[in-house]
Amino acid sequence: MWIYEKKLQYPVKIKNPNANYAKIIISQLGGADGELAASMRYLHQRYSMPYKEVVGILTDVGTEELAHLEMISAILYQLTKGLSSEEIKRSGLDTYFVDHTSGIYPVSAAGVPFDMKYVGIKGDVIADLNEDLAAEQKARVTYDNILRLVDDPDVRDPIKYLRQREIVHYQRFGDALRITQDKLNSKNFYAYNPAFD
Amino acid sequence: MILNEREKLLRQIQSEDFALYETVLFLDGHPHDEGALAFYRAHRDMLEKLKHEYTKKYGPLTIYDNQDEKCWHWIDKPLPWEKEAN
Repeated sequence: MWIYEKKLQYPVKIKNPNANYAKIIISQLGGADGELAASMRYLHQRYSMPYKEVVGILTDVGTEELAHLEMISAILYQLTKGLSSEEIKRSGLDTYFVDHTSGIYPVSAAGVPFDMKYVGIKGDVIADLNEDLAAEQKARVTYDNILRLVDDPDVRDPIKYLRQREIVHYQRFGDALRITQDKLNSKNFYAYNPAFD
Repeated sequence: MILNEREKLLRQIQSEDFALYETVLFLDGHPHDEGALAFYRAHRDMLEKLKHEYTKKYGPLTIYDNQDEKCWHWIDKPLPWEKEAN
């Protein structure tokens, strides 16, 4: 089971609200490579993982992704706090506002609601870990793209932290894949599926 | 069903945890209820004692209580969703 800690993993303190930034950063909440997809991906892949080290990595990275989901929500909350109707209209956030007001609803920057179709659970260690490695790189690219579009240092700081965590997670999933391959037949990694056969 | 020592202790923890969680949900909506606060303190202290005992005997329940200086038991089996863990 989970226990909630009443703190963010890394501080979010944004002085100036900005609807334009919220409109793009929301992709890391409900987009294909966002934090919700990441947490759901890892926390559900755990069950079919045959090696305890890999289960441990998935549990703990998946849990950290929930903390990142909260950080993104905190960024969105602070970026949209106290905006005027005029600012919302000008930024183009009005198409979100009309349905969700200033509620936090997981959608992509293009307004597509979160979908479990973004998450791959194949029930095969090598396939799932490669999905995870790719997912971390895709999330890193999204953060890089956000950093290209956002100037405010108050927003960039937690985004840079989150970008860095994607790189660390990629390294840890690399460990997981190496541990897995060490346990398999090096002449044919695909001889059997240790989660099923 | 015959429970082993670990399973018995786990049942106690789960039941204390449940009592505490029920109290927490109530307290969220009634933050000044002194009776509920007293119940919360009693069950929290009991839970702490039980978790301390469990951790010492059977390994960590959270990432914060690995005791062994030589090994990271956090990843040890059985996993919570396996029959053997329950």
